[in-house]
Amino acid sequence: MFDSWYLLADGLVAASQPNVLAAIMVGAIIGLFIGALPGLGPTAGVAILLPVAVSFDGTSAIAALGAVYYGAQYGGAVTAILLGIPGDASATMTVIDGHKLARNGKAGAALGLSIAASFIGGLIGLLLLTAFATTIARAAIAFGPIEMTALMIFSLSLVSVLGGKDLNKAMMSLFLGLFIGTIGLDPMIGLPRFDFGEVRLFDGIEFSIIAVGLFGLAEMYATPPSIGKPEEASRFRFRELFPDVRATLQCWRELGSGSLIGFFIGILPGAGATAATMIAYAFAKRTSKHPERFGHGALEGVAAPEAANNSAAYGNMIPMFALGIPGSGTTAVLMGGLLMIGLQPGPMLFQTQSAFVWTIFGSFYIGNLALVAITIVLTPILATCAFVRPSFLFPGVIAIIAFGIFGINNSMFEVMLVIGFGILGYLMMKLDYPPVPLVLGMILGPILERGIRRTLVASDGDLSVFFKSPIALVILLITLVLVVSPWLVSQRAKRQADVANTIAK
Amino acid sequence: MEKHEARKGMKRRMLLACGAVLLVMQPMLGSVARADDYPNKTMNYIVAFGVGGGSDIIARTMVKVIDEKKLIPVKMLVENRPGGSGAIGYSFINSQKGDPYYLGGVGVSFFTTPLLGKMPLSYRDFTPLAAIARSPYILAVTADSDIKSIDDIKKATGLTIGTAGAVSDPALLSHLLNKETGATIKVVPYDGEGEVMAAVLGKHLDLLFGNPNEILEQVNAGAMRALAVTSAERMTSLPDVPSFSELGYDIVHTQLRGIIMPKDVPAEAVSYWEGILKTVAESPEWRTQYVDRFNEIPIFLDSKAFEAEIAATSARYETLMRELGLIK
Repeated sequence: MFDSWYLLADGLVAASQPNVLAAIMVGAIIGLFIGALPGLGPTAGVAILLPVAVSFDGTSAIAALGAVYYGAQYGGAVTAILLGIPGDASATMTVIDGHKLARNGKAGAALGLSIAASFIGGLIGLLLLTAFATTIARAAIAFGPIEMTALMIFSLSLVSVLGGKDLNKAMMSLFLGLFIGTIGLDPMIGLPRFDFGEVRLFDGIEFSIIAVGLFGLAEMYATPPSIGKPEEASRFRFRELFPDVRATLQCWRELGSGSLIGFFIGILPGAGATAATMIAYAFAKRTSKHPERFGHGALEGVAAPEAANNSAAYGNMIPMFALGIPGSGTTAVLMGGLLMIGLQPGPMLFQTQSAFVWTIFGSFYIGNLALVAITIVLTPILATCAFVRPSFLFPGVIAIIAFGIFGINNSMFEVMLVIGFGILGYLMMKLDYPPVPLVLGMILGPILERGIRRTLVASDGDLSVFFKSPIALVILLITLVLVVSPWLVSQRAKRQADVANTIAK
Repeated sequence: MEKHEARKGMKRRMLLACGAVLLVMQPMLGSVARADDYPNKTMNYIVAFGVGGGSDIIARTMVKVIDEKKLIPVKMLVENRPGGSGAIGYSFINSQKGDPYYLGGVGVSFFTTPLLGKMPLSYRDFTPLAAIARSPYILAVTADSDIKSIDDIKKATGLTIGTAGAVSDPALLSHLLNKETGATIKVVPYDGEGEVMAAVLGKHLDLLFGNPNEILEQVNAGAMRALAVTSAERMTSLPDVPSFSELGYDIVHTQLRGIIMPKDVPAEAVSYWEGILKTVAESPEWRTQYVDRFNEIPIFLDSKAFEAEIAATSARYETLMRELGLIK
């Protein structure tokens, strides 16, 4: 293990070469902007830069592509906080509290916190990647369909805390999300489901389309013109444009739990950073002393998901570097990059290309520091966005959304879809249906469906296998405890109250 | 009231913005060239999938080799048009009917998406040019598995095999394996090759059909054992692993790396590209940058031979999809 740190030191030196440094900066800045652009996320960013990057030398190419990946995680939060539009899918949970904070005049504090959370999440993810990449990779593959099913049941039980006041409306929203998640080619049979004869729905609906429409466009449709008028804005103080160190330190618990959750969910093949942010947010709310503040501008609600998505990025790279397995769309493209520069990803990469791997890891550390510097300088400038009148701001933003969504697949159809989801989001807002359960259903539902169906195909329909895996059993028991304990507590409180009442009589 | 007005204004502006975007994005129409000075403008290679995938890598490597060797007098661009399981990209190529400035590659969805009946096209709506490499599949298990040969598979019960996609080459091969050996291996579809590999290494699945590229790395690392290959002959990189056909099973199926054009292009364009692609296939650059790197089998099939293989492959998929009940 100590060898790792020596190797990393060599890697840091190698990554400080001017050409690699230049590649890191180019990648980080492109990533930052692509992350901030609604619709385009890290996968699109890495894909856009890939054909250009492979013309650099090998190390610079992968350093630049990696920088796009983690740069996008920083950038996604910017649009989420300032405009209420998730810049990329994994920034969706950041919208909930981040945008409320910006609206309350705390844009600077929220942005500063998101930068700190991104950095801390990234650093914890990186340290774990450096120290335990190979060991963790072995542990991660212990998660098969059975364990994944249990984990998703656990996640859904956590997110029940996110539903809002009206349980029925939350459930309807959740099921709508589950339904949307089933659109496209059936993962097990291959037949199209709910495609309405439309071939462009074969691959399902891109999550960013739903997130941008449901949160971003809906918010803009519903904004009355009075909000953000200069006279109202003038009560925001200049100081609030800047990051707030004290507020950041107060969130240390959420930063820690978010980073760890993000990292471990990120490692699992097929789970992804967005699922990680949801679980991190739900966990933070569930364990908070003031859960009622979540959803109304809680700093912790920004810290947890932002730490999680950055940490998940590194967790995600572990199966790729250690085993040659791409665990997500972004790492699949990144692995394409490795192949194009002539490296063979696989279990031997650490041995055969040791210098390369450690230089890349070194470049990640440098890139994270660079991103903190860039984003801190940009924060006060970006935060002034919150003062621009919607009538000036929104047309430009809508154009950027159209451009970003079009950029995913060069598809006008998807631009129409995002407008449609904007209308759906507007209706849900007016009728008081919470949008968060919908996105949860859409992200977690497909993972749960695949887990259950893969398990049942392999077991010939025998349900008992879910209880034969020790990992799954432990997760299911924890879920049971989490679901039952609030009820037991309330029962006991009621009984005590009854007893107290009887005595009083 | 004021609120309502503003919202209406917003919507109007939205519509205007969308109209503007629509105008800008008008697709550009290609024109048909005369045959004598062909090619005289930029060639477009349309990849029906995203950047960084197998179809994309082969396209970009081929274009790079053509560039390095200066085989054509014009530029060649690679453009990704993903979506609809390949339907978007292939429909686009098809819409350039008669235009010999558009090329595309053949992937699994080239066959399966039309067969599902959701794309009003088939392989007959394209012009085959040539195939420049061939990729067999390798049946493999983890190194510590009890399964050491195809005979062990026949004896074992309750085996599972993972496939990348419900309708794919590994799925086709898995069903063929059951049919040919009489085994009852359960076929479990996953979303990608990486997920299948993770599930096999994590012992959630017993078997997989993988690309030489991914399997050889695991075999060399001592993590996996190869049981048989699906090419007619043994692979040079795995001299000890038998092919299915030498073991007496009728399982021969490889992925062809071939290039197509829209329908009704001039015959001159076809013979022109046959020549270029033959030079590519036989060049040392192609060998080192693609064939050897991905452990594929070097071949060259001209348009006639390639066309015959396309028809055979499509028929194989049609049979599989009928047996799976996907088409009637």
